[in-house]
Order: sequence, then C-alpha cells, then structure tokens
Amino acid sequence: MSDLYTQLVNNPIGKLVASNVGLPQPVKLDRWSPYASVVDGQALFGAAPGGRLLTAIAKVLAMVEVSTSTSLRTDLREACAAADLDAAVFNPEAPGEQRFKALVYDASGIKSSEQLAELRAFFGPSIRRVQPSGRVLVVGTPPENAGSPKEAAAQRALEGFVRSLGKELRYGATAQLVYVAPGAEDDITSTLRFLLAPKSAYVSGQVLRVTPAPDTPENPGALDWDLPLAGKVALVTGASRGIGAAIATVLARDGAHVVGLDVPALGDDLRDLMDELDGSAFELDITDVDAGEQLVTHLTAAHGGVDVVVHNAGITRDKTLGRMSADQWDLVIGINLTAEERLNDALLEAGTLRKGGRIVCVSSMNGIAGAAGQTNYATSKAGVIGMVEAMAPVVAKQGHTINAVAPGFIETAMTAAMPIGPREAGRRMNSVSQGGLPVDVAEAIAFFAKPVSGGLNGNVLRVCGQSLLGA
Amino acid sequence: MSEQTLSGSPGTLALYPRAVAPLIPGLSRLPFVPGRGKTVPTRELVLEDVSVDPEHLARYARVCGFRLAATLPATYPHMLAFGLHMKLMTRGDFPFAPVGLVHIENTITQRQALRTTDRLEIRVSATQPEPHPKGRTFAFLTEARVDGEVLWEERSTMLRRGGGGGDVRRPPSRPKQPDLPARAQWTLPGGLGRRYGSVSGDRNPIHLTGLTARLFGFDSAIAHGMWTKARCLAALEGRYPTAFRAEVAFRQPIKLPGRVTFASEERPSGLRFAVRDTKRGTPHLDGTLTRLERAHT
Amino acid sequence: MTQKLRRAAIVGGNRIPFARSNSTYAEASNQDMLAAALEGLVSRYGLEGERLGEVVAGAVLKHSRDRDLTRETVLGSRLSPETPAYDVQQACGTGLEAAILVANKVALGQIDVGIAGGVDTTSDAPISVNDDLRRILIDLNRQKTNAGRLRTLAGVRPGQLVPDFPRNAEPRTGLSMGEHQAITAARWGITRAAQDELTAASHTNLAAAYDRGFMNDLMQPYLGQERDQNLRPDSTVEKLAKLKPVFGGPDGTMTAGNSTPLSDGASTVLIASEEWAKEKGLPVLAYLSHAETAAVDYVGGDEGLLMAPAYAVPRMLARAGLTLEELDLYELHEAFAAQVLTTLAAWEDPVFAREKLGLDAAVGTVDRTKLNVNGGSLAAGHPFAATGGRIVASLAKELHARGGGKGLISVCAAGGQGVVAILESEGV
Repeated sequence: MSDLYTQLVNNPIGKLVASNVGLPQPVKLDRWSPYASVVDGQALFGAAPGGRLLTAIAKVLAMVEVSTSTSLRTDLREACAAADLDAAVFNPEAPGEQRFKALVYDASGIKSSEQLAELRAFFGPSIRRVQPSGRVLVVGTPPENAGSPKEAAAQRALEGFVRSLGKELRYGATAQLVYVAPGAEDDITSTLRFLLAPKSAYVSGQVLRVTPAPDTPENPGALDWDLPLAGKVALVTGASRGIGAAIATVLARDGAHVVGLDVPALGDDLRDLMDELDGSAFELDITDVDAGEQLVTHLTAAHGGVDVVVHNAGITRDKTLGRMSADQWDLVIGINLTAEERLNDALLEAGTLRKGGRIVCVSSMNGIAGAAGQTNYATSKAGVIGMVEAMAPVVAKQGHTINAVAPGFIETAMTAAMPIGPREAGRRMNSVSQGGLPVDVAEAIAFFAKPVSGGLNGNVLRVCGQSLLGA
Repeated sequence: MSEQTLSGSPGTLALYPRAVAPLIPGLSRLPFVPGRGKTVPTRELVLEDVSVDPEHLARYARVCGFRLAATLPATYPHMLAFGLHMKLMTRGDFPFAPVGLVHIENTITQRQALRTTDRLEIRVSATQPEPHPKGRTFAFLTEARVDGEVLWEERSTMLRRGGGGGDVRRPPSRPKQPDLPARAQWTLPGGLGRRYGSVSGDRNPIHLTGLTARLFGFDSAIAHGMWTKARCLAALEGRYPTAFRAEVAFRQPIKLPGRVTFASEERPSGLRFAVRDTKRGTPHLDGTLTRLERAHT
Repeated sequence: MTQKLRRAAIVGGNRIPFARSNSTYAEASNQDMLAAALEGLVSRYGLEGERLGEVVAGAVLKHSRDRDLTRETVLGSRLSPETPAYDVQQACGTGLEAAILVANKVALGQIDVGIAGGVDTTSDAPISVNDDLRRILIDLNRQKTNAGRLRTLAGVRPGQLVPDFPRNAEPRTGLSMGEHQAITAARWGITRAAQDELTAASHTNLAAAYDRGFMNDLMQPYLGQERDQNLRPDSTVEKLAKLKPVFGGPDGTMTAGNSTPLSDGASTVLIASEEWAKEKGLPVLAYLSHAETAAVDYVGGDEGLLMAPAYAVPRMLARAGLTLEELDLYELHEAFAAQVLTTLAAWEDPVFAREKLGLDAAVGTVDRTKLNVNGGSLAAGHPFAATGGRIVASLAKELHARGGGKGLISVCAAGGQGVVAILESEGV
C-alpha cells in the first residue's frame, strides 16, 4: 500500500521538482493518533446573522476544547458565553498572524440568495488562513426543511459553495456541509467531532444530514469519546483483509467487541485478526440461503445480540457487459447487495439488532459514478445506496439507523494490482491528490456506528478525497 | 534722559576688553574707553520682548540651587539685565570703569512673580555718583516690565574704592544683624565662580581663578555677590510670598573654595538672613526679606 | 471603632502642560516639575502657609537622589513646612492611586485636606551605572588602602562603564509595553483605523477644551510651554493613517500617532472634606466615591499586560451597585489607542464577561460621545505618574460644569495593573 509518488514529492528534492513542473503535491494527511486532540490547532467560528445553530456549535467546540476565535459580534459572543466557550477574537480587518485548523460556519441564518454574500464575507478573509489538513465546516438547514422557496434555494446553494471550496483548499484541507434538520440541533456533536478530527482525513466535499435522534444524550461531554463503543457488539463482514480488517480494528479501538465474519476460505486470516483484536471469528458464506438464520443464531447465542452491523463484504468480477457471464453478474449482485438485504431482514425480524442499532453499508464511488467494466459492481453498489435510503425510515421506527460509506480510491492490495495508468488517475484525480487508506473508510464507518450518531440516518458518505468522479 | 532701545542683549564677552582697557596705562585717555566722565550719563537702556531661554534658566537654577519653577527666581532678571549694565558702563562717558567696582548692596522688589513664559521689557539706568566713606558709589536701577507694568525692580549699589569722599559723613549704616540661628552649611567648590560666571556672563577675573583674582588684590577667587544672594533666596524657597522686597548688603567676600553657614529667622520686621564664614564667623552677607502687598489685588 | 465615613471632595487641580521627551522640559527634574504644579495649586486655592493633612505623590522614573521626592517638594513650597508627605509608586497608576489614598484618609476623618500628585520625566531619566560597575564602586569604597583601591580599579573593563538606561520594558517578559499591547490588540482584532479614529478624537477634544478655555483653571504655563506639546489640533485619521507601525512588526497597527509618546510633566489635585472646603469658601467639584485596583497575570497567565482595568471596573461597579451605562462620562487613560479599544471590546464581550469575570452578561457599552470628552493621553501626552491627576481634575471639573453626574476613571499600568475610580458630582 505504498504511494511512492506521495513519498517522493514529500522529500525536499522531489518537492522542488514537483513544484517546478506543476505536478500535484499531495501532503501527508493528518490522521488519528491516540494522543492527538480533535483539532490540532485553532478554530474560527462564524455565522450568518440569525443562525439557529450558534450555541449548539459553540457547545461542540467547547467540548472538544479547541481554542476558538470569533468576530466580536454579539450573537456569536453570546452563543460562546452560553456554551462556556472561552473564545478569542478574530477581526478580518485586523487579521494579524492567526492560522486556523478549522473554520466552522453556521449558515442556517441565510434565508435568501442575497444573504449568500455572508459566505464570502466570512470565508474570503479566512480561507487562506486554513492550515494543512485543515477543516472547513458549513452548517445549514436542509432545503427540504426550509421555510420558503428562497430559503430552500439559498440553503441548497451551500452545496455548490462547499464543493468548490473543497477543490480550492490545498495541503490536505477539506470542506463539508452539514444540514441540520430543525430539532436536531443537539444531535450534531458526533458529526462535527468526526468532520473536525483527523479521522475524516479523506472525506471532502461531502454533505451530511442530521435529523432528530431518538436518543439524544443529555450531556455529550460526559460520554467516553475514547471508547464510544464500549460494551457494544459489532459485526463486520469481510473482516479478514483490506478495508474490512481496518474496520474491525477501528471498531475494536473504539471499544466494541468485534465479531469478524468471512468466508471459511479466509478463516485463518480472520481468526488471527480477531485474536489480535480480542474479537470473535465467525465463518459464514453470506450467500447461503440460511445465512441470516445462522447469523441470528450465532449472534444471539454467543453475544446476546448485536449493536453494530457493518456490511463490508464485497467482490468485483470486472468485464464489459457484453463479455460478462451470468455468474459474474449474479455473484456480484448476490454478495454485494442481496446478501446484505437478507441479513438485514433476518437481524431486524429476529430482533437480534438491539435497540439503537447501527447498520453501516459499504457502497462505492463507482456505484455513484459508474465505471467501465463494472456494470455488475456499480449496479450492486448503487443498489446499496438505494437500500440505505429506503430502509432508513423503516429502521428508524425501531430506533436504529442505516447509513452507507462510499469509498473512492483506497490504497489496498486490490488497487495496488491495478495498471499504473488507471491507478495514478484514481490516486490523483481528487482534491487531496492521493489515495485514501483503509483506515479512512473505517473511521467513517466507526462514526456512523457510534451510539451518539443517532441523528445520522440514510446518509451516504463518500470517502474519496473529493474525487472528480461522480461528484 | 535719553532712551536707547537695543535690538538684542549685548554679548558681555565682547565688552570685556573695553571693561579691562582702563587698567592699561595710557588707554584711559582714549574717547571710547570708559571712566572718563565725571557724571553718570542720564541714559536708559531698554531691551524689549525678552523671552526666557529655559535651558539657560535651568543652568542658572542649578548653579544657584533654585528649582526650575513656572515662575522665575527673583534674582534671575538680574541675569537678563547684566548685559545692559555692562553696556552702560563700557561707554566712554561713563565715570567708572567696570573692573574693580565692588557690589555692596542689592535690593530686589518683586511685585508679582514673573512667569517663565512672560515677554519682558528690561530697563536699565544708573544713579549719579555719591560719596562713600570708602570711595564713591552709584547704583544701577533695573526694571522688568510685563505689558508695560513694572513687576520687578532692582537697585544694585556699586562702590568704587578710593578717589575721595573721605570727608563724607558715614551714611547711617544698616543696623547690625542680630545673631540668627544657623540653618544650613554650604560647601562651595573652587570652580563655583567659573561656573556661575559662565551662566551669568559676569566673568570678572576676581571670580574666576586665584591667579586672576590676585591681579586685583584678592588672596583667592571670590564668590559672586549675586550668586550668594540667589543661593539665599533658593534656600528660603517657599518661605516667602510672591510679592516681596529682598535687601542684602554684601560684607566680606567669600573665598573659594570655602565653607559657609546660612542663617535665617522670621522676625516681625521681616525674614532676616545671613551668610557667615563657618569657622570664623566672618560676615559675608546680611539680608532682609519683607512681604509686600500684591501690586494689583 | 465606629465612625461615619465622610465624602472626599475634589476641590480642584493644577498641572503644568505636558511636554514631549527631551524637549521643553529637558532641563527640568521631577522635583522641579512637581514643585511647579504644586505652586500653581497653592496659588490658585490660597494654600500659602497652610499645614495640610498630607501631600502624596510619586514618580515612576526616579533618581536615587529623589528619595522622599514629595516631602522635598513640599519643603521648598509655600505650603507649611509642617505638611507631611510621602511617595507612592504604582507605575502609570501612581497619580490615581495617590488620589485614592488621600481621599480615603479624608473619608476616614484622618485628615481634612490633602494633595495628590504625580510627576515624571523621561528626559531627566535616572541613568545608573551598570550592575558590574556598581559592585566595583561599592568595593572601591570598602577598600582602606590606595593599593587596594588600585587593585579594584584595575579590574574594571570597558564594557562595565556602559550606563544602564531605564527601559520601558517589563522585567519579567523583556517586552516593552507597546509590544505587549500589540499582542493584546491583535488578540482582540483591534484595527488600525479604529485606533487612528480614537487618536484623532483625542486631539480634537483636547484642542476644543483649550479653545473654550476649559484648561485655564487646570493648568499653569511652565518653561515656555502654554499647552500640551503633543497636541495636534489638526490631527486627522488621514494623517495618522500615513504613519508606519512601531509595534507588532511591519503588519502592526500601532504607530507613534496612536501610542502615547514619552512625556514630561506633573499634576496635582486638592482633595478635602466638605467642611474644609466650605470653611475655605472653595467649591466642591466632585466626590471620589469608589475605587478599585486590579492586577492580571500577564506573565504566567494568558491575559494582556494592560487589561487589568477591564477587571477592575466591573468589580467596582458591582460594589457600587452601578452599571457601566449608568455613568455619565468615561475617562479611559489612552496609554495606547489599542488599550482603550481592547478594554471597551472586553466590556462589550459576553465571553469575556463569562469566562474572565464570571458574569452572566457583558459588562456594557460605553457611549463614545461620553468618552474622554476633553481629550486623553494620546493628545496630552503621558508623563506616567502625572496622568492620574490630570484626569481626576479635568473629570471633576467637567462633571461639575455639566450640572452633576457620575464619571469613570480607568488607568492601566505596567506590571499588569489597573487603577479605576468613580467621581460623582452634584453640579453647580
């Protein structure tokens, strides 16, 4: 999983050469470490006048203990005071030397296209102060919840703004949009934490929707954010290798007891990893007709149920459609989509998924963008997105959530085997000019898996470094 | 009385050759050399629109022990007039040559304190010679006016030793100063005359060095009388009102370097003060300071 | 011991015009200037020969010879030589702290009348021998023999002869006050334009005060100086905008225009009981009713060097049962325009209120039309210890002339300190 180019341009000579011939200069992205703070630097917090999320955002900033600045506007300062956030002052007219690791902006006050000028007013003087691996977060109101067509248009406009910012930002900095539905103001904690933290290193140009959670914690600051999954059982399919192994590892890091599932052929690898993670291995071919039943039986017997289900298992059988056999088609659809549906049905029906359950599916960028030679694969992964969207309101009734993560170019054994042309194109054709790591996908999944992520349901989050494909 | 208004304060250094000229045999007959007249010309020299140079004032204040205040030390206008005194004396028709004159009395009447920011008009004239037991005397009369109002006056009585007048009846001498309680001891350095001389412009050789003083019959350099008076007023700073008259009689000269005692006491007749030699008690200066009603209150 | 507190009345004040460093007052010592200011006060209020309760004054930059500076000044004055005096020193807060001390004694009935003052010269600054040479000279003095003295002298190296000039730097941080304030200004996002605007207003207001004769009975000319030398009546934001920054690097916002220059000057204030003033037939301009001094940890903590008044004022207001808006006039010492602006910003800031002051709401907003209405230190200059007296006298007079009201005084000081007070007047 070595990205030789990135290593090359990060040594002094390579850097010089790359900059002189105009080659992309990917930086080493900040990633999670046990000692790093959520935001390794300062945050600048702003808002369009009339925003409804100021205090909620300020509370998160106070909770993650990031040194925050705001302009000396009364609404902002009062929100900070209410959140007990000891915010410093930033005045774009007297900027000084300040640099920021994060810009957080409440755009929910923007009710018309004229007021979009607020975006330029805030980000214009501050965007160039964003540090490498910095974060830009815009928080708004979902257009579908807007009070007027003008407000809906203005809020929808934020997407174009954020996506463009993501492309303008350099040195591994990213930009995201979070739509917070009315009533979900207190459910933004996990989303903001994830998007601010190095955990979202390879996520950029994305839109997340937060809706009211059925179980908003009273005091999110009092939770154990280092072990959010303590006491939880997390099932990960396809856990023996690649992204699946990374997911299992991250969920175990977060305190979950991981039940790794894979086909018996990979049983050795699976058991080795589960031993390492203090998890349990469960060998199963998920395409078996009674796979759901077996899983329900096993989870109930061995663990009393399950809290997190990660549908990671997936395969490719690439051929252009004219050359594709029915087996190749059926196998991919069967594993990548049908098996997930069946397992879900079984777990939900049997009540094996305990209250507040989290289902997270792995889709793919190609499921969104499509890819030559992958009609079967893209069909299955687009189907996963459809399943997530359709199931979201269904599982919500039982207090669960279902979301999907769609990885872009991730450095795995699979991508390493690609021919150099498509491989380099995949790596560089995104806003951070590099491929992601399996851990980046795993972190996004762990984010959806958290008990405090109850406000996230039906989201499809791309982990693609804002790839040009399908954007 | 003729009145001559000068455009600027005459430089005293340039006048010294003329002041010393009468001492050189034969020269005294030349028309521009002073000392030839028998009477003091009735001439008044006027210097208008005089402003105080704060730097000079500071040097003066420092050498005399005054604080640099918003108002001028009462002895300071004497500095401003000194050039005019010299100018008056160095005219050919003036009956006395400056060198060798002894300052024996000085009376300053201040009706109101002059401010450092005042634009002053200085007027100087001299009285007719009068016989004195030890020779002849005359006095410089000096005024300082602000907006035409005389706020400050000075009478400086000068003695020319010898030259008749022995038959004159002694003027009623000042009643001898009673013993006053000592207030302070002053150590006067050898260079005091030079220092005060450079500030005041009064570079009379008797004040400068032992050598030059001996030329005029003194054992050593002697302190300037006006320095001694200024030093006394500085010592009394704050203890007299702004409208007052300060009369002093200069007695034996103070030899430099030296150590003297300052004495003073409030009496019904006024504030008496004196300077004595610390060891021998020789009188150097006797003075009286009397309170005046303010000029215009 | 129960006794009723009396009100401490501000009868009046006198100062000399403030001059720029090494200019008109280059030859004047601290004692000269303090004496000049005191003499004017004595004349104006007929205090010749009076034995007062005390005279309290101080200077920030003081020669070793100026030990007991105030007492020495009194001895040469026309006050009764039986008037006691002592020196205080609290950096730029000296003058106001002196007034508070005198007012407190009047209030307690310990004295009936006193004078508070302050003086500073940056021209006649106390230059001392450097510490090495000082030790050598002390050693020389200890030696009993010429041979010993020679031995000591032989040890002197040229570098040890370089004198120590007093520096306007904080001993514990090595930064000058301006450099400290530049950091605070940047932290609060204070703009160059806002600083220049405040500066221009200071000059305009002081010039207007002179023009309408307001200063006539607050000041006496000294050494040819009739007005504050630093005053530029034609000062404008446009002209100030042309100046180069002197603090905070090339992108700094603080210039020689919007920072006070080093200055020379002195001020005095006459403070008495109402009975004393009545007996003498003198007016009561105002009463010094409340005071507070605060200090901040600018060394180990993260607060700005000159932010202490931002803490002192809310504490004082709470004790007085007043809100910031209930005051009629505000005198904030303009050490730097940025200092005033950061203080105002802090008071308006709910975050500062909650996090630093533990208050539920922002301290309040100062109506700019009531701020430094007769100019401030940016225009007048700032001879450190003399500023408190300047402000007390002019605010008392202005409140009185307006028919009464309450006025705030706030003075920041080196060492992270701030001295504040409230004057209250019943008017004419």
